Amino acid sequence: MKKILVITLVLCTVLCSVFAGGSKGKAESKTYSIHLITMDTMDQHWQSCWQGAQDAGKELGVEVIFNSPDVKDDNKQIECINNSVARGADAILLAANAEDAPVAALKEADKNGVKILYVDSPANFDTLRLFATDNAAAGKKVGERLLKELSATGVTSGKIGIIGVNKATESCNARERGFREAFEGKGYTLLETQYCDGDSTRAKEIADNFISQGCVAVFGSNEGSTVGAGNAAKEAHAAGVKVLSCGADASGTNKQLIKDGGLLCIMGQDPYQMGYQGVKAAVDLLNGVDMGGYKYVDTGVNIIEKSNVDQY
Amino acid sequence: MKKDNFVSRFVSKPGRMQILTVLIGFIVLCIVFGIINPKFFSSRNISNLLRQIAPVLLIGIAQSFVMITGNIDLSIGSVVGMSTMISATLMTKGFNPWVAALFSMVSCLIVGFLNGFLVSGCKLPPFIATLGTMTICRGIAQIVNGNYNTGAINIIEKTASSVDKFRNFFYYGKFLGIYNGVWIALVLFFVFSFVLNHTKMGRHLYASGSNSEAARLSGISILKVTIFAYMVSAACSCIVGITQTCSAGMGAMDAGNSYEMYGVAAGVIGGVSTLGGTGRLTGTLVGASIWAVLQNGLQFANAPVAIRNIIIGVIVIVAVLLDVVVRSGKSKIKKLNKNKE
Repeated sequence: MKKILVITLVLCTVLCSVFAGGSKGKAESKTYSIHLITMDTMDQHWQSCWQGAQDAGKELGVEVIFNSPDVKDDNKQIECINNSVARGADAILLAANAEDAPVAALKEADKNGVKILYVDSPANFDTLRLFATDNAAAGKKVGERLLKELSATGVTSGKIGIIGVNKATESCNARERGFREAFEGKGYTLLETQYCDGDSTRAKEIADNFISQGCVAVFGSNEGSTVGAGNAAKEAHAAGVKVLSCGADASGTNKQLIKDGGLLCIMGQDPYQMGYQGVKAAVDLLNGVDMGGYKYVDTGVNIIEKSNVDQY
Repeated sequence: MKKDNFVSRFVSKPGRMQILTVLIGFIVLCIVFGIINPKFFSSRNISNLLRQIAPVLLIGIAQSFVMITGNIDLSIGSVVGMSTMISATLMTKGFNPWVAALFSMVSCLIVGFLNGFLVSGCKLPPFIATLGTMTICRGIAQIVNGNYNTGAINIIEKTASSVDKFRNFFYYGKFLGIYNGVWIALVLFFVFSFVLNHTKMGRHLYASGSNSEAARLSGISILKVTIFAYMVSAACSCIVGITQTCSAGMGAMDAGNSYEMYGVAAGVIGGVSTLGGTGRLTGTLVGASIWAVLQNGLQFANAPVAIRNIIIGVIVIVAVLLDVVVRSGKSKIKKLNKNKE
């Protein structure tokens, strides 16, 4: 028993020294380690963001690590931030799940000399750059497109249902606010938002219930809720019910639903640019380039619909 | 007088009293929701509502089987996710959907077997054993498509039409005006009710749940019974997972999140005891219906989500409390009768 203990201890020491040596070597050659922390690892949105970050990393010869929680959860994201700091990240690109929750962890990271930049969604902690879609503007754009379609088909009043992720996901809430704004004073009734926790099956049920209540349109604020809205509308169309649906996040499934006629339109963000420009800015910042104070970089948004879906 | 006899005879069987009270509660709920929003009773909503009950019923059956043996299965939600991701990933890779479904069924049954073996063979507390498999299965769900949700399952042209047929079979199609998903859940409900009420295995399930030591001494293989219960649970969860793939047309890694608790709620509202040995699937059916009606009806009432969560929680507690009160009332009456004698 004692022997085993001794051997394990020796092994540990050897391993530790190897790893310690490794990281020292890296520091000397000045290979920066940039950690991308998104809200979860599931949505294809983050997949594109990660792709952009990787491409920028290859171009600039820096190490880019994807370290995100498996589901949208404030605490899990905070743990990811803490872990990245512990793993020796030089910079963190964060897509904050909530504005306030990660602030303490970010302060701690900042104290440890880790540079922080935001992609997609910021937190209430000052940094120099935010690369994101203006979610409220994007939601409004989708709302306006829907409004145009509704009035074109002669629907000038009626109920509209909204499916959200959960109350804490700020980017989706901003989209919802923008969407609601587009309908202010236009004679439609926007119902209480229902939350699906990103579960597309639950979203489908919620959308079914909206349609049964006689809603003229359903809006989903993220990938899962949009899939649910699109599938429900597609099924309703087959049964002869007139209802429109639209949403967010240009995933493969959602693009397919646009082609099938289930979804009218979705907001096409550019997560690739968020990741790509984010890594570039992080490297500039680490190299001591003067960033000239806080700047919000709008990565743009397009309305994807049947006529242009093949371009995306 | 005769009616009284019928009611008292019906209620005298164990567990039926609660089923009856909950059924009355269910009817009251429906009426209240119908008054708040008359569209609640539209034919469109009724058929949707039935389809919304189906997965909760299956999850309820899954959890009830395990609870009747006196155990609990926390892995249900993750098995749903695993089933969704395995079937959806294989479909996006061009597999025939039925082959994909078979793959996921086999994987889920292995998990069920493992659960039963860990609990009964290795004597792990069921809470711990299935907590372990819960995280493992969620991990598998995440790893099968490289930590991403899948794309559309009908993306490959060769299999697109068979995938669409498959989606209709499990979710979108109708038979005799009712969605296929409802029929599938009902068939499984009747099959498993039959197993519980009319077979040797069913009696063994109850026996091992009410007193496992006595059951063992009377020659019942607790290992076999436990593994069977967990495998039924995994099979039902797998069907729910496949239905979710069909409904969404894609695989989502967090599908089925916290469904195991819906299963507990459906069972417990319907009178299945978490301590084992008692409970009927009819109760689970009523419990699942209440659960789904609350989700559906509160949305029709345009209630904010927070209110909905509170109401659902209160109803779970009240349903069980009612059972406790009724039972203690009954035993008090029995005591009184004995004293009189």
